[in-house]
Parts: sequence; C-alpha cells; structure tokens
Amino acid sequence: MTSARRFGVAALWLAALIVLAVVVQRRLVVVNDLRSFMPPAQTAEQKLLLDEIGDGPASRLLLLAISAATPERAAAASHEFAAKLHGDARFTQVLNGETDLSVLDPALLPYRYLLSPTLDHAAFDAPFLHDQLEQRLADLGSPGADLLKPLLANDPTLETLVLAQRWTPAHSPELRDGVWFAARGEALLLVQTRAAGFDPAAQRDAIDALNTAFAGLPDAGSAHLEISGPGYFAVIVSARTRAEAEWLSAIGTLGFLILLLFAYRSPGALALVALPIASGAVAGMAATALAFHAIHGITLAFGFTLLGVAQEYPIRVFSHRRAGTSVDESLAGVWPLLRLAIVSACIAYLAFYASGVSGLQQLASFTIVGLLVAGAATRWLLPATMPAQFTDVATGAWLERARARLDRLPRPRWLPWAVLILAFGLLWIAPAPFWQNDLAALTPVPPALLQREGELRNALGAPDIRYLLVLDAPDDEQLLMLSEGIDVQVEKWKADRLVDDVELPSRWLPSLATQRGRQGKLPDRAVLEAALAAAQRDLPFQPGLFTPFIDDVEKARTLPLLTPPAFTSSLLGARLQAMLARRDGRSVALATLNGVHDADKLAAAIGALGGGVSLLDLKASSEALVASYRERIGKALIVALLMLAAAVTIAFRDVRRAWHVIAPMSLATLLALAVLRASGVSLSLFHLVALTLAAGLGLHYALFFERHTGDAAEERRTLHATLICVGSAILVFGLLATSTTPVLRAIGLTVALGVGFHFCLSTQMARHRP
Amino acid sequence: MLKQPLVLHGELHYGGAGELGKRVDRPYRETTTITHGKVEVQRNGKPLQRFSLERAPELQALLAAFSALLGGDAQQLAQYYTIEATQNGENFRLTLTPRVTELAKHLRSVVVDGRATEPYCFSLQQSDGDSSVMLLGPLATAAVGEPPTAVALATLCQNAAP
Repeated sequence: MTSARRFGVAALWLAALIVLAVVVQRRLVVVNDLRSFMPPAQTAEQKLLLDEIGDGPASRLLLLAISAATPERAAAASHEFAAKLHGDARFTQVLNGETDLSVLDPALLPYRYLLSPTLDHAAFDAPFLHDQLEQRLADLGSPGADLLKPLLANDPTLETLVLAQRWTPAHSPELRDGVWFAARGEALLLVQTRAAGFDPAAQRDAIDALNTAFAGLPDAGSAHLEISGPGYFAVIVSARTRAEAEWLSAIGTLGFLILLLFAYRSPGALALVALPIASGAVAGMAATALAFHAIHGITLAFGFTLLGVAQEYPIRVFSHRRAGTSVDESLAGVWPLLRLAIVSACIAYLAFYASGVSGLQQLASFTIVGLLVAGAATRWLLPATMPAQFTDVATGAWLERARARLDRLPRPRWLPWAVLILAFGLLWIAPAPFWQNDLAALTPVPPALLQREGELRNALGAPDIRYLLVLDAPDDEQLLMLSEGIDVQVEKWKADRLVDDVELPSRWLPSLATQRGRQGKLPDRAVLEAALAAAQRDLPFQPGLFTPFIDDVEKARTLPLLTPPAFTSSLLGARLQAMLARRDGRSVALATLNGVHDADKLAAAIGALGGGVSLLDLKASSEALVASYRERIGKALIVALLMLAAAVTIAFRDVRRAWHVIAPMSLATLLALAVLRASGVSLSLFHLVALTLAAGLGLHYALFFERHTGDAAEERRTLHATLICVGSAILVFGLLATSTTPVLRAIGLTVALGVGFHFCLSTQMARHRP
Repeated sequence: MLKQPLVLHGELHYGGAGELGKRVDRPYRETTTITHGKVEVQRNGKPLQRFSLERAPELQALLAAFSALLGGDAQQLAQYYTIEATQNGENFRLTLTPRVTELAKHLRSVVVDGRATEPYCFSLQQSDGDSSVMLLGPLATAAVGEPPTAVALATLCQNAAP
C-alpha cells in the first residue's frame, strides 16, 4: 500500500468522523435531568421526590446581594434591577422587598375581604368600625401618618396591610428606601428561576441573564452583584470540576503521547492511535441519540469513562506488528483475543438493559456501540492507514530483560488465596460507612460560599432547601381546607421553636368554604352606611371620606369566589402556583419551611397529624434513591461479570483457561475495592463505574497474558503492549487521583489502583507456567 | 382627610441620646416610646405593638429632628430644617421648614410655641392640608373650642400663659 493511499484513507476517515461528529453535535440533546438516571419511583414519596428534584421551589431560588458606594445607590440599583428582571421569562419570581401592597393585583383588591381573616372574628358593625377608626385617628396623629394616608379612604380597616403582613415571610429583611437590606448595607433580592436547580446548563443561562441585566444598569460600573444559592453552586462546581478535569486530562494526554513516541518511535502512530476510540465515541453518541430522545449528561460522562477500554485496541495492533509480515498477518494472531474481549464486554453490558433505568440503558447502548465501532475500526480501518516503516518492538533488548525478570518472579500457588483472604480482611476492618450516598459530597461547594449562602438565606428569610411539608387531598378545595386546619398547628410549632414559619397555601388563598363564610358576613350597603355613620359620629373624619370603602365592600359581596386557577393567574399567584400540583388525580401542595430548628420533633409532630400531611426530607429521600440506584448498578454489574465469564468460557470451550482469565480480573477488582475501603473511602456510583473500567482493562491483560504462543518474540510483544496500556492508564488516571475534587479523585484513584492490581495479578495468575 | 385640625393633649419626654417618649391623653390614650430605633406603641386595650425604625426610614428623619429639638441641639436641627425664631417677651415661636426631601415630601412646617425653655405647642402642617397640634405642659388640659379651628389654636399657643 502506497503512503499516499494510506494518507488518503486516514484523511477520509478523519473527515467522515468530523462530519458525523458535527451532525451528532447538532442533533444531540443533552439533558441534565437526574430523573431519567434514577430508578423508577417505588413509593409515593420517591415519586414526589423525583418531581421535586426537578422543580423544588426552594432549590430554584437564587439569593442576590447588591453592594454599591452608598446604600442609596444600592437601593436604586435594586429597584432598577428588579424592574428589568420582571419581564424576563427565565425568572418566575423576582422579589426585592418593594412594597407588597402594589403587588396585590388591582383586580383582586375587592377580594381583600374574602382573603383576610379579619371577618372570621369580627363583623363590620358600628362598634368594630368605631374602634378601627379611632385607631386610624391615632395613626394620623403619629409620625407614620403619611404611610397610611393613601390607604385610608378605601381601606379603613387596613385589610391590605393584614394581607401584606400575612404574605411577608416571618423573618424578612430590613427595608431601606423601600427595598430589602442586609445589615452591612447591601440590597438583597430573591429570584426564582424557571429552570430546575440541579440543571447546570439552564442555571448558567439564568445566571448569565442576571449578570447581563445587571451590567446594563446605569450605575453598574460602581455597583457589585453577588449571586448565591443551589443553582449557582451547581454552575460553579460543574465549571470547576470540568476545568480541573480538562487540565489534568491535557497533561495526561501529553504524557500519553510522549509514552507512545518512546514506545513506537513513529509520530504517525500518534495520530492514528486516537482514531478508533474517537470513532467509537462519535458512533456511541449517534446511536444513543437515535435510539433515545435525548442523552443524559451522566451517560456521556460515564460512557466516555467506560469507553476508555478501547484505547487499548490500537496499542495492541501497533505492538504486535511483526517484522517481515503484513499488518493483516500480524493481526491474525491477536485479533481473535481482541474480538473476544470486545464481544464479551458488550455481552456483559447487556446486563444494564435489565435494570429498567433509562439512564443505564443509554449508558449500555453508548458503550456497546462505542466498543463495537472502535473494535471494527481497529480491525478494518486502522491497518490500511499504518505506516510501512516501523520497528518490531520485539527487538528491544530492555523488553527481553523485563520478560526474563517477570519469568523469574516466584509465583506461589497460594498467593491468590492469600490475596483473597487479605481483601476480605481489609473489607472487614474498613471503617463505616460502606457507601457514600450523598452525591453532593463528591462535588463539594467551597465552605466560604456555603457560609455566605447561609447568611444571605438567613437575612432574606428564604425557605429551607432540605425540608418540605407535603399536603395531599382529593381536590384543591379539600387541600386548602386541610391547609387551614394545619395553620393552627403551625402557630404551635412556631411557639415551640420547632420551626420559624411554614408557608401554607391557605395563607395565600383560603378555601371556597372560608371565603363563602366571610362573604356572608359582609353587610349590605345600607347597613354598612348606617354602621359607619354611627362609628364616625364623634370622630373628625371628613364626611364621605369612606365612600370608596363602602363601594368596595358592596362589590365584594357579589364577587365570584376566588379559585386556585383564578388566583394563580394574578400577579401574586406565582407563589401559590409553585406550591400546588396535580398528581395521580389528587391535589398535592408543597409548603416551604423557614428556619427548621428541630427536624426530629417537627417530623414527630407532623407524623402525629396523619391524614394527608407529611414532612419530606429531600436529602434523606434522595440519598435513599441514590442507594437504590446504586443497588441496581451493583446487581447489573454482578450479572455482567457472570455473563462475561460465560462468554469467555464458551469462546475458549475450556473452563480452566477461562478461569485463568476471570479469576485474576475478579480478584484484582475485589482487592481494589478492599484497599479503597480500608483507606477510609466510602464508595459511590463513581467508584463503581471506575472499577468497571479497570475490570475491562484487566480483562485485556489477563486475556493476552493467558495466550500461550510458545514464541518468545510474540510474548515480548504482548508484554510491550500491556506495559504501554498499564503505563498510560496509570499515568492518565493517576493524574486525576491528584485532583482536589473528590469525584475526579474517586475515578482516578480507583482506576489507577485497579489497573495496578490487575496487571500484577494477571502476571501471577494468567500467564502460562513454563 | 380630617375636617378640622387634630388636637392632641399629652406630654413629650426626651431622655437623651435616642430616647423619646410621647404620651397622648386625649382624644385617645396612647403611649409611644422610642429607644435606640426600637418603637413601642401601647394603645388603650390593644396589644403592645413593636417595630423597628429601620423598617420605616421615612420616620427616621422626623424623629431625628424631634430629638434635636427636644435635646436643644440647634446644630443638628439645622441639618433638617431652616429655623426661624421669634421672641415676644418670654414667649417664643420656632418655625421649622424642612430642608431634606424625605421630610418635605409630607411635611410643610413644624411650629413650636413655648415659654422660657418649655415648649407648649407642637403644630404639624402636612403637605395635604391636614394639620395636627399637640398640646403639652400647662396646655395639656386646656380647653379648645368644639370643633377646634386653626385660628383658635394659634391664639391658644401664642398666648401660652399659664
């Protein structure tokens, strides 16, 4: 084959790859919805949790602080910023403390008599009105008169203030110039994103929107916007993890290239070695995107990790080229083994289809297609591009010395059993807990940011992100009645210092029954006029001043009652809408809690209520969910191992030979797990995926070491290929192990450790005994 | 909103540094105490109301001015108002016109009448035409005509003879 033709094939291959990659990249929809990566919900709580992980109102809150040269300028910036954000569809709620009275939709103003609890314990008769007007007179005589004057004629009983107070969180920040302020002179804002809190891409979009809007303010140059909250953390943590991973991978790749250059002394090999795995990755993405609606971010991350096995295919081909024969002839010796490794790994990953988790099925599709395509490309495309000039690695003198040294190593037959006992011993003494279910612990947020978030959350009186009160009833009306019933309990919990406040849906909208009751207590025009005249007799208010009040009451008497759909379509309705949901034909409300002081006692108190009320602990539930997910992965992996063993045994038609391959691989995996555990590591999903990758690599080592050719040169080539593979894996993943991010460290350490054990145990257990 | 000036009878008390007290005896009973920005209002037969002045920055300027006036701190007072003083024998009259926007928005003027060192009348003229007069000391029990007129009140305050 001429070099021009080889170059042509390689260029065509690369071009086809780029075209396919561009097409895939255009069509690929990457979602970060954790729900598709979770096992189907078993309990009602899990079902709710899966929805809540996506839409939890508290996790969608971003906490903002604006600092400027003076508090007045910060307040001005807050006003302008909020006004700008109000029209942005990315935010469902923008609060900066601007007077709640203006928030009451003018259309809802007459409804204040149905929404406020005043009429539950009073009637609009002469004594009540007299008492109220007397208080208004005292208000007018007080320095605060000017604040109340605009309300007086329409609302002498100040129902709008009653409602504003009811709708203000228990601990709202101080107001300055009409906006929220923190003690150290920063204006505070609270925005709720439409996007889910865990979705870093959508959250990044929202945060970019905030920064852009802020930069457009007239005073932006001298003011500073600080953002905090779960969504913000998701963005910075994923960016930081990605930056660190890219940086370490870049160094790793450079080291890998230098290693290859030393190994093959051919720059051409460097370019070719990446083509099969790149083909596998693009094909895997294309297949997954075709078979599934969208691909999950975790599928991609885990899939690329597992596909790392394919990096070995071209190395095997390069190392096994023999002087004086064609590429195809050289390949004939190793291809059956490579094919066996590929096919058995694919068979093993079929086990993931049985998991019932769509994310795992995606992962299996990606990996299987990726491995098959990488394998096929290695077998049928790579040889056509390989340079004619090469060095047979078997001629290296250092390699012969290494092989001889390896042969001289003692190989006691008791060693594997001793390792097995050691592994169990390590597992036995390993400190608890075995599993790390808190995935957030793997991508920790810097403590300083968490502390600042706590400060802002406290200052803003923003709801707790861990707990939710769940109300469940057959329909909206019964749900609101249930909520009204609990309101009394909430006051008791507040008095007992269990919780600072619970934002119940009935606080926003009373049940129709309650509204009807209040409406029935509103006097007709004549009665109210007479009562007001009597109440006003000895007070100096101008005659006719309260006519707007009489008109409003008259209007309220015939208003159609306010239903949740009508209320949620108003300006104020966003809060209620965020709380109410229909689920399986029932109405469910999620009430946020502020300042949970004693979760256990609160849970007990709520448990005692029974009947449609429960406390949802998002952290505990999501950890339970992760645990059950991990259990499924664990089971799938055990089935995968069994299927792998069966595939190898069938291919070899020799149980003894299969044992020589499967035993070192399994033992090394167990040993890696035991060493990790004994050094105090609690295992997570990421460790499991990393162990699986290491096992896939270990399968190669064992398969190739097990091959007995009786040809010393071929055995040198096997050793050469294996050393390059082990060296590169330890280099790349060892670098990841130095990361400061626990998730990268988990993957790096596990693979590096596993690869080391696989190599050592394969040389001991798989190689032919002379 | 009111058909006549609101006449309050009672007492003002200045306790120094940030402490202000106001007691109204007629036409309603109310005691207001302000201590370091915390306000407590006790009205007849009602639960005690507490709030922080930081919640109502509009009030801060007004109360700072009152403290300056009652504490005799002319310099601080001049920060908030242009002061015009007239003397008639032992009687004095201070006419204060707000110079800061927070105050000027709602308040047209404050007139303080008194004798020697004791204020007897605090008259607040609001921008919307309403006015209120607080009668103190010897005038706290003085009779005002029913209904009270601005002219009668001015006469009462200016001739604040015991």
